[in-house]
Amino acid sequence: MLAVLPVPLLITGCLASLLIGGGDVGPGAAVNHLLGGLDDAHVAMVVDTLRLPRTLAALVVGGGLGLAGALLQSVTRNPLAETGLLGVNAGAALAVVAGIALLSLDGGTAQLVLALGGALAASTLVLVIAAFKGGTSPLRLVLAGAALSATFRGATAYLLTRDSAGYDRYRFWVLGSLSGVTTRMVVQVLPIVVLAAVIAAALVRPMSALSLGDDVAAGLGHRPGRVRVAAAVAVTLLTGASVALAGPVAFLGLLAPYLARAVVGPRTGALLWLSTMGGGLVMILADLGSRLIVRPYEAPVSILLAVVGGPVLIWLVRSNRTMTLGPGTAA
Amino acid sequence: MRPPDSLALRLGSRSVLLPKRATVVALSIVVLLLLATAASVAVGNGRTVGWRAVEALLGGQSPFARRTVFDYRLPRVIAGAAAGAALGLAGCLTQTLARNRLATPDLVGVGDGATVGVLVTVLGSATASIGAWWAGPLGAVGAAVLVVAVAGGLGTAGYRVLVVGLALSVTIDAFTDLVLARQPVDVARSVWGWTIGNLNARGYPNAWPVMLGLAVLIPLALPASRKLNVLRFGDDTAAALGVVPARWRLYALAVAVGLAGLAVGVGGPLAFVAMAAPILATRLAGAARVPVVTAALTGALLVVCADTLGRAFGPVEVPVGVLASLLGGPFLLWVLLSGKDSS
Repeated sequence: MLAVLPVPLLITGCLASLLIGGGDVGPGAAVNHLLGGLDDAHVAMVVDTLRLPRTLAALVVGGGLGLAGALLQSVTRNPLAETGLLGVNAGAALAVVAGIALLSLDGGTAQLVLALGGALAASTLVLVIAAFKGGTSPLRLVLAGAALSATFRGATAYLLTRDSAGYDRYRFWVLGSLSGVTTRMVVQVLPIVVLAAVIAAALVRPMSALSLGDDVAAGLGHRPGRVRVAAAVAVTLLTGASVALAGPVAFLGLLAPYLARAVVGPRTGALLWLSTMGGGLVMILADLGSRLIVRPYEAPVSILLAVVGGPVLIWLVRSNRTMTLGPGTAA
Repeated sequence: MRPPDSLALRLGSRSVLLPKRATVVALSIVVLLLLATAASVAVGNGRTVGWRAVEALLGGQSPFARRTVFDYRLPRVIAGAAAGAALGLAGCLTQTLARNRLATPDLVGVGDGATVGVLVTVLGSATASIGAWWAGPLGAVGAAVLVVAVAGGLGTAGYRVLVVGLALSVTIDAFTDLVLARQPVDVARSVWGWTIGNLNARGYPNAWPVMLGLAVLIPLALPASRKLNVLRFGDDTAAALGVVPARWRLYALAVAVGLAGLAVGVGGPLAFVAMAAPILATRLAGAARVPVVTAALTGALLVVCADTLGRAFGPVEVPVGVLASLLGGPFLLWVLLSGKDSS
């Protein structure tokens, strides 16, 4: 029952996202166009090239971050873990800034490729280094990610102190936005997200076992180290895809698992599913808000996420509906 | 009874237990810190470099060299060391009270609150320059108080306050980013440059408040460290041993916020120092105790070394925050990986 609940909400959100905001086309005309009853080039342009890609991107980014956050918090047993922790966001930022500062690369596709490449490279480095000499304990993973993220941020800051024009562009990228996204860009990152979702689905059982502790999981025939590495790979793919599409909006990856845990408690499968749905829903709403709140301009989506998500997270924590991450919050 | 890994120092009827390994480590770091200070003084622009500067530091007679060293370089080193020590100690307290290595003072809004304070002074100035030193600390402490008030209590192992702090930090941060994106680029760069962490032109006026704070708060932190040591065995065990967990967590958090807030006034947030110094200190001094003093010394050493390196290459200095995270990151990794598994 609880598991199906978000689906109609999500469909409603998608419809709202198609019908209102972003271009001066009212809901009536948009409905007519979607039902095939209206042949108007302007309406078609607004709905098909402005609103549709944003809706799709919000679903992919929000769902991806929600799933990534739930995976990461479960597997590291650390409620402070956010999706940027494995170096993904810092690596993406470094690649984007290096592209701007050293190669003068700019524009949507270049940033997409750079952010994705940087995210994957950084996270691979974190995983390889953490797994070096065979240790993949949650704490090693978390600290290796934090240490390398600091290094990447240092390098980013170094490049930006040298390049005034680069900083000028960087400060807008940091805010995150879905406004320049095209359907083609969404389709380009879709295989990555699907692959990660498949990995996550396969991990539900081993991760449930792992939440009882490494020894119990090993006794049940799972290999804790491999499960953690597989989860980290999925987190990397999801976060990399989302940072490439929308910039660093990592807060959603922290918020969605808290929302999901408040509803279903610690059951791994339901938690991952609900966190995905919840992430998608929150992102759709935030993006809708960013289009509507200061029309005809756009408010940055990170502001909307913070203004809506911050109080929600505070309320969840205050009402004690949280913190069931398995025995002994290690790390 | 004396634990086997400690030395008992007796003076009349009083005695102090000194853990052997931690003492050796702390003394070694003090030596390294003195060497780093000498190196830091010896690096810079102008004629007074290398041995000439070290000579002046040790009592050489050249008045020009003496002035360069004692009026410009040494104050900066001391300011940096004081900020680093305060951050290392603050990080040690927050990590121990939450039993989480990711828990730094920044999680309760110290860094972002300080940034807002500085942002306000920059917006209020005609030349896009940063105002009085206390704007940052005021913002930091204000944000931390707000976080604790909104959280309405620390919660289990301090998590409620940390997650509320995270949520509020993200909100504050988003608004700061928005304001920076709307401002002229020189204003934005000025504030952003401050958030990286910089010791340029810092001296005794910046160092005094932190040193005063250290002098008051270190004695307050020492008893907290013994209680926090017991908290590591779980709240039930601690309660059975007569330690009230909630009270000591709040106490330690207040001390940590005070220290980190003051440190922010010197060189900016320098968040990575507060995270890395306690981890390095635990690895060096052993996990049996909470390494309060060693963490402070490690933080000071980290900041002084990063600042020295930042000035060592070329006339344009690299901000201390850049080097602290650029070099501290790999160093932390190396320390983590060279051991079997971390504590």
